[in-house]
Amino acid sequence: MIPLSWYVILGAVLFMIGLSGVFLRRNILVILMSVELMLNSANINFVAFSHFFQDLRGQVFAIFVITVTAAEVAVALGILVALMRNKRTLKVDEITIMKG
Amino acid sequence: MDFEALTRWFLTSIPEVIVISAACCLLMVDLFIKKGSRDVIAYLSLATVIGAAAGTFALAGSSQQAYSGMFVVDGFATFFKMVVYLATILSILLSMSFIKVEAIEQGEYYVLLLFALGGMMIMASGADLLSIYLGLELMALSVYVLTGFMRRDRRSNEAAMKYVILGAVSTGILLYGISLVYGLTGTTRLVDIATALSHIDGGDTALVLALVFLISGFAFKVAAFPFHMWAPDVYEGAPTPITAFMSVGPKAAGFAVILRVFLDAFAGASEIWIVVIAVIAVLTLAIGSLVALVQTNIKRMLAYSSIAHAGYALLGLVAGGEDGIASVMLYVFIYAFMNMGIFGAVIVMRKGDFVGENIADYTGLSKVRPGFALLMLIFLFSLAGIPPTAGFIAKFYIFVALIQSGNVALAVIAALFSAIAAFFYIRVVMLMYMKEPTGGFDLNLTPAARIALGICGAGTVLIGIFPSWFLDMAQISVF
Amino acid sequence: MDFPILSVIILVPLAGAFVLLFVRGPALARWVALVVTVIDFLLTVPLFAGFDTTTYEMQFRETYTWIPAFGINYAVGVDGISVLFVFLTTLLGWICVLASWKSIEHKVKEFMIALLVMQVTMLGVFCALDLFLFYIFWETMLIPMYLIIGVWGGDNRVYAAFKFFLYTLAGSVLFLVGIIVLYFQAGETFDILALMEGNYSPTVQIWVFLAFFVAFAVKVPMFPFHTWLPDAHVEAPTAGSIILAGVLLKMGAYGFLRFSLPMLPYASQTLSMFVAVVSVIAIVYGGYLALAQDDLKRLVAYSSISHMGFVTLGLFVLNIHGLEGGILQMFNHGITTGALFLFVGLIYERTHSRLIADYGGLTKVAPIFATFLCIFVLSSMALPGTNSFIGELLVLVGAFGYDKSIAVLAVVGAMLSAAYLLGMYRKVALGAVENPLVQEAWDMDTREISSFVVLAVFVIWVGLSPKPFIDIMHVSAQHLLEQVLSRAP
Repeated sequence: MIPLSWYVILGAVLFMIGLSGVFLRRNILVILMSVELMLNSANINFVAFSHFFQDLRGQVFAIFVITVTAAEVAVALGILVALMRNKRTLKVDEITIMKG
Repeated sequence: MDFEALTRWFLTSIPEVIVISAACCLLMVDLFIKKGSRDVIAYLSLATVIGAAAGTFALAGSSQQAYSGMFVVDGFATFFKMVVYLATILSILLSMSFIKVEAIEQGEYYVLLLFALGGMMIMASGADLLSIYLGLELMALSVYVLTGFMRRDRRSNEAAMKYVILGAVSTGILLYGISLVYGLTGTTRLVDIATALSHIDGGDTALVLALVFLISGFAFKVAAFPFHMWAPDVYEGAPTPITAFMSVGPKAAGFAVILRVFLDAFAGASEIWIVVIAVIAVLTLAIGSLVALVQTNIKRMLAYSSIAHAGYALLGLVAGGEDGIASVMLYVFIYAFMNMGIFGAVIVMRKGDFVGENIADYTGLSKVRPGFALLMLIFLFSLAGIPPTAGFIAKFYIFVALIQSGNVALAVIAALFSAIAAFFYIRVVMLMYMKEPTGGFDLNLTPAARIALGICGAGTVLIGIFPSWFLDMAQISVF
Repeated sequence: MDFPILSVIILVPLAGAFVLLFVRGPALARWVALVVTVIDFLLTVPLFAGFDTTTYEMQFRETYTWIPAFGINYAVGVDGISVLFVFLTTLLGWICVLASWKSIEHKVKEFMIALLVMQVTMLGVFCALDLFLFYIFWETMLIPMYLIIGVWGGDNRVYAAFKFFLYTLAGSVLFLVGIIVLYFQAGETFDILALMEGNYSPTVQIWVFLAFFVAFAVKVPMFPFHTWLPDAHVEAPTAGSIILAGVLLKMGAYGFLRFSLPMLPYASQTLSMFVAVVSVIAIVYGGYLALAQDDLKRLVAYSSISHMGFVTLGLFVLNIHGLEGGILQMFNHGITTGALFLFVGLIYERTHSRLIADYGGLTKVAPIFATFLCIFVLSSMALPGTNSFIGELLVLVGAFGYDKSIAVLAVVGAMLSAAYLLGMYRKVALGAVENPLVQEAWDMDTREISSFVVLAVFVIWVGLSPKPFIDIMHVSAQHLLEQVLSRAP
């Protein structure tokens, strides 16, 4: 039996890795993957707590998160494709034209 | 779970059902409509919103729960739904000519607006962090796409990309916060959270952490400091009617959620979050008011202005209590009229190859179009909070709520920033009234745009002079 | 219910502004505005006829519920103090229209609308018996005034309009916070009469007084908040200057009278020395700066600061002479300074110069002009027999009863005013005509004379027989003083 705290620590570590990835990486695809890590860390928490409480709510939440995230990634990739057509780059620094 | 309960739940959520199923139908209807007669979709969308509003009216007056307590219909939800209906109707009216000029006339545009509306309605009615999350995402995903709707415009692409990435990050932060709350309380229902919190020590580190994540996530949605950086870029890049929509609808829905979550579920932990929110509110106000001073693009300026206005609304949250909630509600409602109005004015400037997004483009407007300039003057003075316009009443009520709750110092700070903020609004008035025009003004004043501007103007003036009814509505709608 | 005379007086200009929206052509717009303002002026006749000078109670009261959630009413009424300013406002109303008859050439209709809306808000300020209503009028006024200065003003008008707007707004927002604090302290009411009854703790009084002080001091304007005034005056069109000097500045002093003194007696008494010192600084400093001006309008503007110093000094020496002198001086200043600005405006129409050095020998070219100038210059320097003499004398008597050194300094300021005003008159009216532009200046026509005659009548009337004016305000002033002094600090 693995104690609850292990899951929570794993979640926290994944969340931090994801958040640092968002801020440190410069490639949009990698940033999107980092965001996925953050969302999945929340999912781990949900499922772990759900198991701990013996309550289904957390698992339901996790399933919804997975579904919505899929939609979110689809939208993000769609926008990315449109951006790629106009400007052939995946680097965040190179897409910025608006400032102020 | 019996059939009778299901029917009752279905009827309780009939406005949402109308909006979302109509959106799905319109997506298909669009396939059978000739190119060039897409206005039909716009009219059908308007009819849908009006139908949903009728449904909301029919349900108003009683407080009902549905879907095992995940969804409530009460005065508070009804009030915010009215605000988002208003924002959607005005956005549709203002979009009709704009998307022709930009050559992005596609049926999906209106369908996405309806989906966003559905999401905002679910947010307003959400009584469980799960339903709130789903509403939030439905709204956000639609708005991401709408932001990037001008596919060939680089600014629009860039805005959408920034928005979707930062939005996803903020969702991640929010979800992590929700998962911590779930771990602490064993529930995601707002009412049960409030009960569970009474057993938790106020100084609990995990609770502090959970609240910090929640605040960060929501602060992003309403563009509050320090998560406001996306707003100017996204506002500038998005098609202007969408900017107008974003600055009013999602923001209103965001405040509905914030009020419910913090003043209902987490009211017991207010000593933790109230200081944080107060600091965020003041900094939001400061950043918005000060940075707006140096903008040259009117959409960017209005983005900072809307950041500053979010600061005022957050101050209402700090005030708390019935008056605090009612003051935010009234603020958001009035803000819908004046902000849609000023964006509407920016939208009708767009015609042919003329963009009309530089503040300098408004130079001498009053010489050529006195009536139109007067209307803009009303919106600008209202945004600045000068009586007898509605914007003054909104600010006044926030001040009243703040002082009633003993936060006089915050009221003084907010008052001083409102004087600073007045500068960039009246700068536009100055350009319109006190300089000679450099060229002609060819406005894209279609009947639809005229109606939208008329609604905004009438709302801004009438609520300013006769605020009583609206004030009472806000006060009786407090949850 | 009696005839709602005050509401009618307030709303007639608004109705006029509305009618003007549909009027075409500048000539008609001028006439409509003139007729409206004259009607408004004539409406004050029944106001005075029905006015009871034996009571300090508010008269001609009207109350309608407006925003019940906050207990806000549309409540208007006048006492012996405010009735004078209602009269002054309507009087200057039609004089302003006449003053802009020729000088405003573009957007005449819009100008007249702004002028009429301005008049509505000013009348509202003097009549309001509800603090919220007062604030609405007080703030709304910024919009037309901003436009009057910024659209129809001189070369540097945009800067001046901005400065005016932001100074006043910054003061007003603090005022708003003060109002709301008082609202809760007094048990959730905005009724001015009920607020006067309230007994607030000394700390609250001091803080609210300071918040109010900033708002009123900017408007008066008192040292060191005065820097917007010379710019606003110089750039504003003639009518704007007349309104600014004649009525707007009075609103700050009126705020002190109506709110600071009776509502915050403890703070007023504690801080009276502070206000008195600031007032004397304004008197001397304003006079000193006026001495150094080479621009006619700037000179009159600085003299305004100096003269308004007498007003605030009179209000805060807290005795009946000072108080009545201060109120009378407010009225006098409206007449005299209004006339001086009118003079500058008219002479500018002729020569297109405001520099004192460009003038000389006006008596030879335009004798009527010079005569009227003489009357108002003498009035402004408070020569016995003119209106200001009575006012300043009362203020000085009051000041001597309060603190001798302050009074002496005020006398120095009064002497300075004689110096710069007579100096100006000598350079402008006497001597030889050297400037060809002045040579071509024509004398006054009937339209111009009519305004000056009416103003001159008041200069001499108040100067020779001030009793009727003092009688009107006496009971109210006496009551006000009791309100302040009965509650010892």
